[in-house]
Amino acid sequence: MKPPTDRGSLALAAYVYAVLAFIIVPLVIVIPMSFSQNDYLTFPPSGFTLKWYSEYFDSRQWRAATWLSVQVALLTALFASVIGTAATYAMIRGRSRLVTAFQILLIGPIIVPHIALAVGLYLFFQTIGLSGTIPGFVLAHTVLTLPFVVFTMAAALGKVDANLEAAAMSCGATRFQAFRLVTLPLVLPNLVSSALFAFIISFDEPVVSFFLSGVRQKTLPRRMFEDIEQNLTPVIPAIATLLIVLSILILLGAQVLRSRSVTRIASQ
Amino acid sequence: MDIASARQSASGASIRISGLEKRFGAVSAVDGVDIDIAAGEFVALLGPSGSGKTTILMSVAGFEFPTSGTIHVDSEDLTYVPSNRRNLGMVFQNYTLFPHMSILDNVAFPLKMRGLRTAERHARAEAALATVRLAGYGYRRPNELSGGQQQRVALARAIVYQPRVLLMDEPLSALDKNLREDMQLEIKRLHAELGITVIFVTHDQSEALTMADRIAVLRDGKIQQIGPARQLYERPANLFTAGFIGEMNFVDVAVQSVGDDISVALPWGETWRLPATAAVEPVAAGEAAVLAVRPERLQFGAGSSGQVIAVTLSDIVYAGAALLLIGRLPDGTEMRARIPGASQLSSLAPGDVASFAIPPEAMLLYRGERQ
Repeated sequence: MKPPTDRGSLALAAYVYAVLAFIIVPLVIVIPMSFSQNDYLTFPPSGFTLKWYSEYFDSRQWRAATWLSVQVALLTALFASVIGTAATYAMIRGRSRLVTAFQILLIGPIIVPHIALAVGLYLFFQTIGLSGTIPGFVLAHTVLTLPFVVFTMAAALGKVDANLEAAAMSCGATRFQAFRLVTLPLVLPNLVSSALFAFIISFDEPVVSFFLSGVRQKTLPRRMFEDIEQNLTPVIPAIATLLIVLSILILLGAQVLRSRSVTRIASQ
Repeated sequence: MDIASARQSASGASIRISGLEKRFGAVSAVDGVDIDIAAGEFVALLGPSGSGKTTILMSVAGFEFPTSGTIHVDSEDLTYVPSNRRNLGMVFQNYTLFPHMSILDNVAFPLKMRGLRTAERHARAEAALATVRLAGYGYRRPNELSGGQQQRVALARAIVYQPRVLLMDEPLSALDKNLREDMQLEIKRLHAELGITVIFVTHDQSEALTMADRIAVLRDGKIQQIGPARQLYERPANLFTAGFIGEMNFVDVAVQSVGDDISVALPWGETWRLPATAAVEPVAAGEAAVLAVRPERLQFGAGSSGQVIAVTLSDIVYAGAALLLIGRLPDGTEMRARIPGASQLSSLAPGDVASFAIPPEAMLLYRGERQ
């Protein structure tokens, strides 16, 4: 006897595959285009060449933009993960009545349109001379990436029994030692994973960077938009392909870290 | 704090809690508590949830600072000393082992905080593990141990630096019944071996009665009674303790006169004369009072000496060592009796009226009305 065919689950499967296809198709188009011999972005691509990759690596302008983005993203990852973890710790362990207000402020950058934030930061940074500087980019990107750190760390810290720190303190540890020797090791994988997310978000953040970039200090996404406007060569899909590879590597790394931390905490 | 004091002899310290009060906003979690604990004594704080027992323990541990009052350990005022400088051992309900460290590192953690070298740390942690009968488990991880073993590791970690006081916050409530009884004996043995002073918080009265030298019964942040198990059980100081500890029958009565003996009117019209010693709290003529009797003090049959009651039985429950008889007095008040040697009573059936005698010394009289 054959089990009855479930039309509902077939439809659901079809729907899920359609969604996946829509997500993946742009990637599948971009990657072959980066190897196209045409001088303009055209579809379908023809021939095979690596010249767009070498143009990217050989160009001083592209390299400068990439190096600026790397510096900004590294510093952003550092500040966002440290500040975000400290803030989340305060929200989870603290007894202050301001916790809710604090929470809304921290998560705000996700809700406020980036363009609004960008215009505000632009006007403000122009006045105080931070526009187009690394500290300016890092400040802006730290604000943008904090919510992601807060979400990740709230989930992780929420799973750590507060009594573990109490136990450490009853053993003679100071509050800071209890955090450093007990809580921090337990959430370290999540902390690193949230730093990786902050890095990748900062690295390809276009809106705020568009406003804050100066004549010389341009982040990679900003430089790419300029190139799209002026040249539209397959150097853009070549860079996009590199960014896709980078993002996938970082996401995989974050995922591995996450699964490790879950087993650690679940085993307590 | 330093190595020298960590090495001092393992005998317990005395603890004096005076006028302890802790308010959270308008709520008084602890409301004027005084407890004097002798060096080496084992004291249980017993009460329902919200009675303030845990807040008292946390104040001694240094995780809560009282609104007013003081806590002295030996002669040292620890009221506002941070928890990490109190040198008290603490065991929590949910084991609280550090999941990322080996068992040995868990037990050695307090020694690490006191700056001991690795070799000595490990030697002493091994010795502490042996004390709780877990020698050889040092290189496992907490998640490789059963709940009972984890709690023994927590115990080893709490005693490894030979503190003068051991605080335990419902340490056995996460364990199943058999394991709990094993651990009760284990803790009693450790207490006897180390001579350490123990404060033990529990909501389980049988645990408190079997383990502690003295038990403090708490309700609404106040001590209802503090004393040894026998005293608490045989002469509870007030109606709350009488109802909270063990089983108790209560009958509302009216006090008629107080003199060499006390005469009370029972709800079904009889008048009894009780010895003056029956009054646990002072009673006056014309007042309402409650007569309390333990079920196992009732004697079956009218032949014995004492006041005789007639109980219409509703349930007869075979409970192994004794027979539990549940019924009602003539006015409808429920009455329970536990009668050992059950075989002679096998002819009883629900609906029968049975006579019981209450010996005069088994009767306790409290002010007020039953709740």
